[in-house]
Amino acid sequence: MPRETLDRQIRQLQDEVLLLGSMVEQALLRSVEALRQRDVAAAQKIIRDDLAINEKRYALENAILILIATQQPMAHDLRLLAAILEVNIELERMGDYAKGNAKVVMQLGDSDIQVPMREISRMAELAVGMLHRSLSAFVAEDATLAHAIPEEDELVDALYNQTYRMLVEQMIARPEMIDHVNLLIWVIHNFERAADRVTNICERTVFIATGELFEMDTDDLEDIE
Amino acid sequence: MTETLEKQHLAIETRDMHLFYGHFRAVKDVDLQVIPQKITAIIGPSGCGKSTVLRSFNRMNDFVPSFHMEGEVLFHGQNIYATDVDPVMVRQRIGMVFQKPNPFPKSIYDNVAWGARINGFKENMDDLVEQTLRQAALWDEVKDDLRKSGLSLSGGQQQRLCIARALAVKPEIILMDEPCSALDPIATLKIEDLMRELSEQYTIIIVTHNMQQAARASDHTAFFTMDEDRAGIMVEYGETNQIFTNPRDKRTEDYITGRFG
Amino acid sequence: MSGYFSTPKSNLAMRHRVGGVWKAIFFLSTAIGLLALAVLVITILDDVFGLVAVVDKVDRTTLADRPLEDLEKDELLAILDKKVSVNRLRTIQRNGGFTLDEIPAGEVYELVIAEVVKPTVEESYPLFDSLFKRAEIEAEVAQKHPDATIYFYSWLNQRFLTNSMSTTPQLAGVRTALFGSLWIIVITVAFAFPIGVGAAIYLEEYASRSWVNRVIQTNIDNLAGVPSIVYGILGLAIFVRTLSALTSGKAFGVEGVETGRTVLAAGLTMGLLVLPILIINAQEAVRAVPNSLRQASYGLGATQWQTIWHHVLPSAFPGILTGTILAVSRAIGETAPLILVGASSLINKDPQGIFSYFTALPIQIYNWTSRPQAEFRNIAAAAIIVLLVVLLSLNAVAILTRNRLTRRAP
Repeated sequence: MPRETLDRQIRQLQDEVLLLGSMVEQALLRSVEALRQRDVAAAQKIIRDDLAINEKRYALENAILILIATQQPMAHDLRLLAAILEVNIELERMGDYAKGNAKVVMQLGDSDIQVPMREISRMAELAVGMLHRSLSAFVAEDATLAHAIPEEDELVDALYNQTYRMLVEQMIARPEMIDHVNLLIWVIHNFERAADRVTNICERTVFIATGELFEMDTDDLEDIE
Repeated sequence: MTETLEKQHLAIETRDMHLFYGHFRAVKDVDLQVIPQKITAIIGPSGCGKSTVLRSFNRMNDFVPSFHMEGEVLFHGQNIYATDVDPVMVRQRIGMVFQKPNPFPKSIYDNVAWGARINGFKENMDDLVEQTLRQAALWDEVKDDLRKSGLSLSGGQQQRLCIARALAVKPEIILMDEPCSALDPIATLKIEDLMRELSEQYTIIIVTHNMQQAARASDHTAFFTMDEDRAGIMVEYGETNQIFTNPRDKRTEDYITGRFG
Repeated sequence: MSGYFSTPKSNLAMRHRVGGVWKAIFFLSTAIGLLALAVLVITILDDVFGLVAVVDKVDRTTLADRPLEDLEKDELLAILDKKVSVNRLRTIQRNGGFTLDEIPAGEVYELVIAEVVKPTVEESYPLFDSLFKRAEIEAEVAQKHPDATIYFYSWLNQRFLTNSMSTTPQLAGVRTALFGSLWIIVITVAFAFPIGVGAAIYLEEYASRSWVNRVIQTNIDNLAGVPSIVYGILGLAIFVRTLSALTSGKAFGVEGVETGRTVLAAGLTMGLLVLPILIINAQEAVRAVPNSLRQASYGLGATQWQTIWHHVLPSAFPGILTGTILAVSRAIGETAPLILVGASSLINKDPQGIFSYFTALPIQIYNWTSRPQAEFRNIAAAAIIVLLVVLLSLNAVAILTRNRLTRRAP
């Protein structure tokens, strides 16, 4: 079978995507842990580590461009490379969410607010779990799995709405804490967005497998209805 | 009603076309509909009969003694293989550009003028030569030495001269049989640009080994391969964009991603 | 030898030696060929030039009190009147187509020498003996022919070219034979060229691969190897006998030629002889025209005839000319068929047209070499040189034409 060079390089790229994904997963989970512990040092480390995520993203992008330029991939190969390019960006953004959470931890300091840790942890678990499985589906080009994952987004959304209401109630009860509680809204928003981005990764997986591009995130449509 | 409309809107249509060399079936059951004023590329591995198919569109295969065909090749709704059709007339309407640039050993001017002359062109020959050389994007390079031999030009220029020569006969369709395989990349791109310009007035059908070229330069692509009897078959035909990003058939996919065989 | 390129078990030296031996063998082959050619040329030249011992039948000092060269025309005429019979003089004037009164003194002098003095070559010596053994030759001549004069003589001279046949070697020339040969060549080419090219075009461009055409092809290939004498017999049977009314010109009202043994019959026979050569060469030339050229032409909506006329023939023409050169070379040197169709070596009247009796250069050479007198061998050698020069000039013209065409074409 010809094209072994291309195949090998594509496999390497997929490995790199998984690696980048696990870096992002770690960063997200660590940001939750830092929030629980109000650990400013850990938060600082997350922010520093985000640089590594960004670097990896650019390295991946460069490698893909070189592969396109030198190997002239077609059809499935081309779709795969284009999808990696897209997923790459999604992962980097998710890395930014972890960084945003870390910044929140630093701004909160040890202020006396009620953090709905149980809900936030649950949201993080859900989002990271989705991310993890979406990347497995992505590398395996498993369209069935990719179709199933976005449904879990509803759980995350429900948790988000629930936690959002809790935080708003807290704001009403303790207006002097509005700034700090607002920061927590950012945190849950980040996890909600992370889960949305997982949906994008799943869209790309279907694209690689079938060549079809369509929107899986149906939230907006439901809102209109 | 719709059928007649469709017929008028096709440059060439083949129906159940089988092509034979002696007892060997070289091409099997092709139903191809070529859209006018577009560039249609025929791609496929060596020996899949794509050149044979191309040559059957202007009856160039008639010169192969063992060749015969079944089915129909329709041009303006008329079967060009019908007994009352003169192949000379067919070739005048459907011109051809070959793999290796093959200008006549005559001057540039005569290369362009000859085809028109033998087909009874009676108007101003100088104008025709200038007009077709301009169409072929060659005029500026040769206008000062039209009397020079066509063979003194570079490979790319020779091929454009051959295109001009074909245009001078005023065909409707231009068949190109791997027109760039003997050319360097820059000359190749020039020919591709030229094809794009010409496709506003002419229907172009190109056979190419170079998939990138088919992807770059064509609107529609037909993929041919061999079946288990080594007969050429058309696997997939569709818009070039679709064929090269999302082919429907596994064999097309394997071929265009370079995983054939 | 040591270092990077040396390998202990290398057989390279052996391989080089084998190569060297073969190279030497090939060189030897070439050298033998060149040697043979050189020997041929030298042999001919050896006969053409050389010393001659000449004895005058009549001592020229007895004819006048001054050297003959200094005499006036009327004095020379007086000698002729005195020494030559009236009948002989009349014959000379009739054959030459002139009267003694109108020709200049120089020619009268020639007549006096030929008819009265009658210098006779008693001995002729080859070129190399003449150059290196002159003393011995002079001694020999002084002993055998005391009153002979010895001088260096070129048998190939202006008189040889302008005189016609004569039984006296010194007076014999090749003019008639030269014209005969040229006439034959012109007729041969005029007859065989169009037919040969036509046949080649048919066989290559039109004929299908049927068994009839294969038989025809095989026959043409074999005909090229048929001995020329067979063509002579064919020519005798067809052109001289069966078609004598045509070849003698009677059918066209031409008088004076009784049989078909004319230059036309000879040219047509030669035409038949070279036809297979011409066809085969023209076929090869037509076959060598790249198919891409034909395809380009057909692709523009040209008919088969337009393709052949405008592209195939012009491109094949240089090759066809090469075949014609070969054919002419063959025709100009052939002797056997000419003997059969009736070339006569005893003709001293130039051919006046296609319905003339004729002789040709190879016939003269053949005839002279078979005569007993040594001097005929000398003029035969001279005639060979004339034949070669004619042949080479004809070929040169054809080659120049071909080169001009080739340069213009691609």
